[in-house]
Amino acid sequence: MAETVKLFVNGREVEVEAGKNLIDALRVVGIEIPHFCYHPALGADGNCRMCLVGIEDGRPPLVPACKTPAQPGMKVLLDDQKIRKIQRDIMELELINHPVDCPVCDQAGECRLQDYYMEYDLQDSRMRVPQVTKGKRMDFGCGVVHDQERCVLCARCVRFTRQITKTGELGIVNRSDQARVTIFPGRPLNNRYALNIVDICPVGAMTSRDFRFKQRVWFLQKDEGICHGCSTGCAIYIDHHREKNGDDVIYRYRARTNMQVNGYFICDAGRLSYKRENENRQDLTLVDGVVVDFEQGIAAALEKMNKARRPLLLVSPDATLEQMWAIKRIATFYGATLSGYSDAYRIDDDGDDFLISDDKAANRYSLELLEIDRDRESFQAALAHADLLVNFDNDLFFSPINESLQRLLGEQDRISVCSHQLPVFSGSSVILPCASPSEYGGSIINRHGVLQRFRRAVRRNADPRDILEITHLLGGAISSAERAWPGIRQSVPVLRSVEPEQIPVEGLLLNNSEERDVGP
Amino acid sequence: MEVKILSARFDIDNAHRIDVARTHGAYRALDKLFAMAPAEVIEEVKASGLRGRGGAGFPTGMKWGFLPKDTGKPVYLAVNSDESEPATFKDRYILVRDPHALIEGIIICCWAIGCHDCYIYIRGEYTSQVKILQAAIDEAYGAGYLGARVAGRDFRLDVTVHRGAGAYVCGEETALLESIEGKKGQPRSKPPFPAVVGLFGCPTIINNVQSIASLPYIIANGAAAYRAYGTEKSCGTHLFGISGHVERPGMYELPLGLPLLEVLENVAGGVWKGRKLKGVIPGGSSTPVLTPAEAATVTLDYESMAAHKTMFGSGGIVVLDETVDMVRLVENLIAFYHHESCGQCTPCREGLGWMLKIVRKLLAGEGTVADIDLLRELCDNIEMKTVCVLSAACTMPVRSYLEKFRDEFEAYALDGGSPQPEQREG
Amino acid sequence: MRDRSQLQAAGQPFTFDAERNDEFERLCTRYPIRESMIMPALWLAQEQQGWISAEVIEYIAERLDTYPAKVYELATFYTMYHLRPVGTYHICVCRTLSCYLRDKQEIVDFITDEIGIKPGQVSEDGRFSLEEVECLGHCGTAPVVQINGEFHEEMNVEKLKAVLAHLD
Repeated sequence: MAETVKLFVNGREVEVEAGKNLIDALRVVGIEIPHFCYHPALGADGNCRMCLVGIEDGRPPLVPACKTPAQPGMKVLLDDQKIRKIQRDIMELELINHPVDCPVCDQAGECRLQDYYMEYDLQDSRMRVPQVTKGKRMDFGCGVVHDQERCVLCARCVRFTRQITKTGELGIVNRSDQARVTIFPGRPLNNRYALNIVDICPVGAMTSRDFRFKQRVWFLQKDEGICHGCSTGCAIYIDHHREKNGDDVIYRYRARTNMQVNGYFICDAGRLSYKRENENRQDLTLVDGVVVDFEQGIAAALEKMNKARRPLLLVSPDATLEQMWAIKRIATFYGATLSGYSDAYRIDDDGDDFLISDDKAANRYSLELLEIDRDRESFQAALAHADLLVNFDNDLFFSPINESLQRLLGEQDRISVCSHQLPVFSGSSVILPCASPSEYGGSIINRHGVLQRFRRAVRRNADPRDILEITHLLGGAISSAERAWPGIRQSVPVLRSVEPEQIPVEGLLLNNSEERDVGP
Repeated sequence: MEVKILSARFDIDNAHRIDVARTHGAYRALDKLFAMAPAEVIEEVKASGLRGRGGAGFPTGMKWGFLPKDTGKPVYLAVNSDESEPATFKDRYILVRDPHALIEGIIICCWAIGCHDCYIYIRGEYTSQVKILQAAIDEAYGAGYLGARVAGRDFRLDVTVHRGAGAYVCGEETALLESIEGKKGQPRSKPPFPAVVGLFGCPTIINNVQSIASLPYIIANGAAAYRAYGTEKSCGTHLFGISGHVERPGMYELPLGLPLLEVLENVAGGVWKGRKLKGVIPGGSSTPVLTPAEAATVTLDYESMAAHKTMFGSGGIVVLDETVDMVRLVENLIAFYHHESCGQCTPCREGLGWMLKIVRKLLAGEGTVADIDLLRELCDNIEMKTVCVLSAACTMPVRSYLEKFRDEFEAYALDGGSPQPEQREG
Repeated sequence: MRDRSQLQAAGQPFTFDAERNDEFERLCTRYPIRESMIMPALWLAQEQQGWISAEVIEYIAERLDTYPAKVYELATFYTMYHLRPVGTYHICVCRTLSCYLRDKQEIVDFITDEIGIKPGQVSEDGRFSLEEVECLGHCGTAPVVQINGEFHEEMNVEKLKAVLAHLD
């Protein structure tokens, strides 16, 4: 912790970080101050008045906590009768014009109005006059749907578009209780981060067209994950649910705060990439086009690999550090050529200076650390020369860049270990289904050299195997991610002293890694 | 009872023209001004006891003293000419009848605080008034009182008129700054105070038109001459606007401290049509109402008003005769503040609308005694929970009517009426 | 206040005429930031076109390099900007305290009866529009009526009849 100050909350002395406002400072020591409009990424606005706290001997005696820095000796009153009454009164006023539609509201279960009602309000409505009516189900673009009646006018969304994306599509028009959030007619949301608005809206005013009415949030299991949409590796929550007699399905990704990687937000493309985990999956094991048991598929693959004279193993830049290591080990075992060629995962000029990277590979950095060849020329030569290609889930056709390689595929026998049904895998004599990122755990390193660990979140009925497990079945020595580490530590200097279990939640910035964009 | 300090040139034909104004003394304080150091000017204004004439009554010289020294940033003066508090119409007379007193006052203030860029924020409704003001400013530029060298001195001063467009809240000083910055007029949280972080992030003084227009007299004649009028703590004269149910409504300049009823009787001709007095709103619609008994003992100064649990405010006195329906009056009042709520803070934005609907429910004969109690409770729940005092400007007077004229509200209430089922507006 | 969020399109692009453009450029030099010009620009546009159309908002946003949503905010927050065409004669009757006490309602009722428009409406021939507005700052000479910006004080029905008779 940086410099600290000591202050009193309801008479109890607490030590908090200096320079922070009361909401942030006290949260760290377990004291929550209710609020709607304050958001650490957007700063204090002070409009909701929910965070009003008392300052004993202070002038004024009542201040918004979001705008009040923690100061030494300050005597903060939070739970006394006067403050509880204010919180109750503010809640009543927040709710008088709010529709009672929790049963059909997607926010129900993660709504601050609901939570604070239970915590601070708990009174019957005294509203016996007509409510203010405003717009419903307004299409704001980018899949954001707005309900003006549910809105508490905290202006988080407006501030987001002005301060974060600097696109300014939203505004609050009118004044008095006619004030409402809207877009300028014909100018809907048009930025690649718009769905964060749904995350930051503290109530049910901003909902995602994609998620609306799909699932009640209290049924969702919320696991931590890492987005594999590009080389930034944003921290996410994977919200998934197994219906009775159904499969474990992912319903959405949400941004997870990680100040070392993505701050508070994620891009829309990454957010919607959860669909990839649910759709177009390769669940069946095939040998020469015939469905077989997984074990039979492994047997067929083993036979081919043992027979091959010039095998070529291709690793995906999305694979975890441990998976890559395991593949590298079996390449040595089989005397195979190993390539991590993955130019197709780069989309030039697609990135921006915020979170989106040109490089759509989640872990290219590890390919470099493990000194796995990524060169196109050598891959092409090896491909022309090989009699067997074992492709570990590398989508060579992710972008059209490899059209010319298409004719080279098929000149050799091919085994594909794949999570999805993709053109690049068609024509393989053996197809072994494997797990997608939400279904295994491991380590990946983002483009800035931040090493993050993630755990398995989803257990689908098809139960596809982790690539690492498959390499073990194919004769590799590595049977788990943990077992990969002694070897990794030994061969990669920068990881020599890394203990995977001790990597902090925010990731580990590899110390002698300079800021760089790793080339393919 | 009337005096002519501020209003000395009001009755002179064409005093809004610079040649006429100069003939009658305009800009004569400047020689004396530029012989004084800025700090001496501030001391003189402090000594005069001049208090802000916008309604809050904060000592003007002390306000100037809050400016931080040597920040390296420009200092701004924003002249508050938004006067939109109902019953307030005094500044308009200065703008129209003696705009050069305002400009001369601006020069004095800017010299004192080291300001070279002044903005006059004038309410949008003052359509013809803004033309007269702008013409006077143009004349002052032409005569060398504004521009690169004010009155031939090495002192630059530019004055820009910024028009409002229909928002009472812009009379609140930080909302006014927001409005000049091209934003909605939504008040800022304080601290920081405008003297430290004001217009365009720079130290800023905001003064009311009448405060500024009082300066030439103070500089020309000295603080003592100004203090000769008024009381010990409420010094000088004030432009009082008297309206409502009196025989001779209008704007009158009076020294502070006179008995209210005497003024109403002798200056404004008493309650009109020979009717009886029911109440007096002493300083604009946001000030708590006085009963005739209270009005009989109050004097027109800050201290006496406070002692009577109301406020001096803007000096806009409204007389209510015996025919006034206090419930309807309160409806008119809440409708105003509700209409003008900037919509920023939850209690004001949502609460004033609720209060308005409750009063309308009473007026429709559908209300209950419980509704009156709720209305009274909402005054407490909303007041002082917001960034600015607009909501208090509504709840303070409403509370006073509810307490002093409760029987009228009860007359509208149904005895033991049951709450109506909830419904939504069509 | 009424909801003012429904903008109307004029159906043609807006640009300042030469005179307003000069004034716009002159005023720009008076402010250290561009956005300060949003309100003056809205006033100039209203002076030129009579009302603020969606096109005006887009034009001003472009001239000032700001978001249309921001100009839209201001145009709806400040109630003197007309967001639809008003009558040739736009009549504002003060509804607040002192004018209320001195029978402004008689004037509103007279206009409604005589011209056939309620507050917020424009007459069918486009000649008149009526608006009830908040305090106009003429409380000492209440009730007050403002027609196209010009004040008429100490009004009553007889005087209003005479004023209306003198309009073109």
